[in-house]
Amino acid sequence: MSISLAYIILSIFLFLLGLLGVIIRKNLITMLVSTELMLNSANIVLASVDHMMKGVEGQVFALFVLTVAAAEVAIGLGLVVAMFRLKGYESSSEITHLRG
Amino acid sequence: MEWIVFSFLAVWLIISAMGTIFFKNPVHSILSFLSVILATAGIFLHLKAELLAGLQLIIYAVAIVVFYVLVITTVPWERVKKFEGIYKRELILSLPMLFLSFLSISYLVLKGQFEHELNVATLNNVKDVGKSLFTQYLLPFEIASIILLVAMIGAIILGRKED
Repeated sequence: MSISLAYIILSIFLFLLGLLGVIIRKNLITMLVSTELMLNSANIVLASVDHMMKGVEGQVFALFVLTVAAAEVAIGLGLVVAMFRLKGYESSSEITHLRG
Repeated sequence: MEWIVFSFLAVWLIISAMGTIFFKNPVHSILSFLSVILATAGIFLHLKAELLAGLQLIIYAVAIVVFYVLVITTVPWERVKKFEGIYKRELILSLPMLFLSFLSISYLVLKGQFEHELNVATLNNVKDVGKSLFTQYLLPFEIASIILLVAMIGAIILGRKED
């Protein structure tokens, strides 16, 4: 078992921890932080596969993942603040307009 | 030696990720997420991706964490107090599913065959990544800049006052 394979297993664990955070947190901001955990784990997978195959393409795509993470945090936090200011929501269980 | 570094980074990463999920206070959660970022930068250094480690520190640890802390300070605390913490029932229900998916994905990774040795070993990581980024992946790079511009305009529109 090589070191890159161990890092891939570790990043799967980190991804599932982020998914658990999205499922169980009540606060919208901490749910966004949990999605950042998932993006970080994707970056670790890309870098470790690069280390295994001795290429640079995975690191290039990890840079794009970083860009998407920055855009996502700008839009997501803007949405959270707008929701809180206009409607007074701060919990994930209060937004039930689409439940039907 | 490699495995000592790996186990140190893995324990650090898992403890701070647990803290990110389970801390009650959002500020503590963000600080724990900062620790996750530092551990991830250490992992990138260990995997010989130095450019990625530096960018991780610059973009995540400076830009994104500061942005989160600024947004947390704008939200009034008294109304947020009752929505801290976690849903207990969802935690109990989701743990077996996540455990099963961890086992199955790890089984797939351990049993699968990776194709080895794409090209020669890289000596200068920053030079190689930069050359690949600005020749072969130039169009995605420009599209990423447009994505950032659109995100900036969207954040400004979302954040302005209603009139």
